[in-house]
Amino acid sequence: MTTLEGLAHGLSVALQPSILIYSLFGALLGTFVGVLPGIGAMAAITLLLPITYYISSEAALVMLAGVYYGAQYGGSVASILLRLPGTPQSAVTTLDGYPLAQQGRAGVALFTAMISSFAGSMLGIAILVLMAGWLASIATQFGAADYAAMMVMGLVAASTIGSRQPAKSLAMVVVGLILGTVGTDVNSGAPRFTFGQTQLLDGINLVALAMGLFGVAEVIANIRKADRHGPPNRVGLRELIPARDDLRRICAPILRGTTLGGFFGALPGTGSTISSFLSYALERRVSHRPQKFGHGAVEGIAGPESANNSAAITAFVPTLTLGIPGDPIMALMLGALVIHGIQPGPMMLEARPDMFWGLVVSFGIGNLFLLILNLPLIGIWVSMLRIPFRWLYPAIIVFICLGVYSVRGASFDIVMVAAVGAIGYALALAAFSPALLLLGFVLGPLIETNLRRALLVSRGDPMIFLERPIACGFVIATLALILLPLARRIRQGRR
Amino acid sequence: MQRDYHDLLWGGILALFGLGVAGYAAQSYDFGDLRRMGPGFFPVILGLILAVLGIVIAIPAWWRQAQPEPIAWREGVAVLAALLFFGFSMTRLGIAPATFVAVLIASSVAARRGLVWRLMLAVVVTALTWAIFLGALDMPIPLFPWSR
Repeated sequence: MTTLEGLAHGLSVALQPSILIYSLFGALLGTFVGVLPGIGAMAAITLLLPITYYISSEAALVMLAGVYYGAQYGGSVASILLRLPGTPQSAVTTLDGYPLAQQGRAGVALFTAMISSFAGSMLGIAILVLMAGWLASIATQFGAADYAAMMVMGLVAASTIGSRQPAKSLAMVVVGLILGTVGTDVNSGAPRFTFGQTQLLDGINLVALAMGLFGVAEVIANIRKADRHGPPNRVGLRELIPARDDLRRICAPILRGTTLGGFFGALPGTGSTISSFLSYALERRVSHRPQKFGHGAVEGIAGPESANNSAAITAFVPTLTLGIPGDPIMALMLGALVIHGIQPGPMMLEARPDMFWGLVVSFGIGNLFLLILNLPLIGIWVSMLRIPFRWLYPAIIVFICLGVYSVRGASFDIVMVAAVGAIGYALALAAFSPALLLLGFVLGPLIETNLRRALLVSRGDPMIFLERPIACGFVIATLALILLPLARRIRQGRR
Repeated sequence: MQRDYHDLLWGGILALFGLGVAGYAAQSYDFGDLRRMGPGFFPVILGLILAVLGIVIAIPAWWRQAQPEPIAWREGVAVLAALLFFGFSMTRLGIAPATFVAVLIASSVAARRGLVWRLMLAVVVTALTWAIFLGALDMPIPLFPWSR
């Protein structure tokens, strides 16, 4: 199928009324949770996971993706108006967005964030279309050793890049990997770490784990913190119109941000949060007026916002073509696909073209919809910021319970959620990343299976990871990711 | 300021957990060899890696100063109590009473005083739950204790 045929086919899928409705619902819901500080895209996607049992797999993926990129749009609203990032991806936007809002130019900041997000998403979709076909054709040559090496590199990259304490991040990944081994071992059929509990034979429930880590733990942490901010200023539609000067300034940052985000989003292990930070650093470096950064430079919004949206789209490249999620949100998406009995991988483009192309086109439609609706709706989103968290969190708790119960009708899972939530809260207090735990949990069984298969093929010779060029590249990259920060730290320690 | 007890404690817990996993897996499951890995191979290796990481986290924390973040005890207890109450009463009492009481338990730790807003919130959330999970999704759970 050529790209054009694919897009035409995708259009016919994405324009089905049911798909269209789920796409719009997801995008709006995502914006809503993105606006509200205290609930992130992770929590929202987790809460929706059980609901996806009731709808088709295309509709489910389209809706969850809508939540993801919608949350990126919404996250910037809270960042700009309250200096409270609604999502981690939009944390950088506080740096220049909030000063602009204080100077009475909140409208310009919001407009910049929205137009940059839109441009970033659209160019991200183009990158996704171009790369997916190419990568899927390469991926058929990937062997088990290559997959295993690539996933290990992804996990190491996710925990070392941009992390202040890589040992803590790596520890979370390993805990996730260990939790992933619970249940029946697919290779030998032996039950592992089930302690006689039949409920654990299928492994730890992904939904229960994610809801504990992102729902319960975040609710506990936010009850005290969330309602401390003052009311936001009102923003009128007219204030959104940018000056010519602003428009001129944001074009180049958008292009740079998109490219950067598109690249890092597609790499396993680096996602949209890292892209937005890197883009900010890049813009400050190339700017003619770096002193303006941190005091209301529109470039400091345009770059990161386009980067994080572009990365959010291209993150689907490894997820859909290799079946390897690059970041925790993609791990949840992959979980959703597996729930529907779809194993993404190189064959998916051939076997399920409706799924792939429908998804691509619906990204475009959803983003267009967000742009068209969000500009006039900005007043509503701003007033959403006035909803106190105390009205929301009791409902979230009830929805968590019912959501996790609906997966397989076991009250045991609710107790599990409570336990995971308590541990997750304690871990978050000590600055451990629960998102990395989830990533390890999802990738664990995949890594183990591929590792075993690779060593079976090579008759137990670990040199297979160095003899195959693709695997060898990943092994070298992994070592570099571990050793370079270590070397830098030792050098700093000597001074 | 005091020692970084968070990292000290968690480093220790993770190291012990790692050793426990490795030890349990080594004892209970076949390790196999590189060519044919047994079910114990992966967990043993992971447990050992975690033990090393735990030590790496804990040791420098002894010499580091940190201000631990205050623990939200009340909030934590209320949220967990609401979850557990809901989990146990959902199928026995039906979701209407379970939701109503769970919302009251959860909202009891909100900073705002007053009973009226809490009761109203409980009514609204109960109605929403009924509409979404029984109305739209048609989940097989009783609404009231007598409706089964």
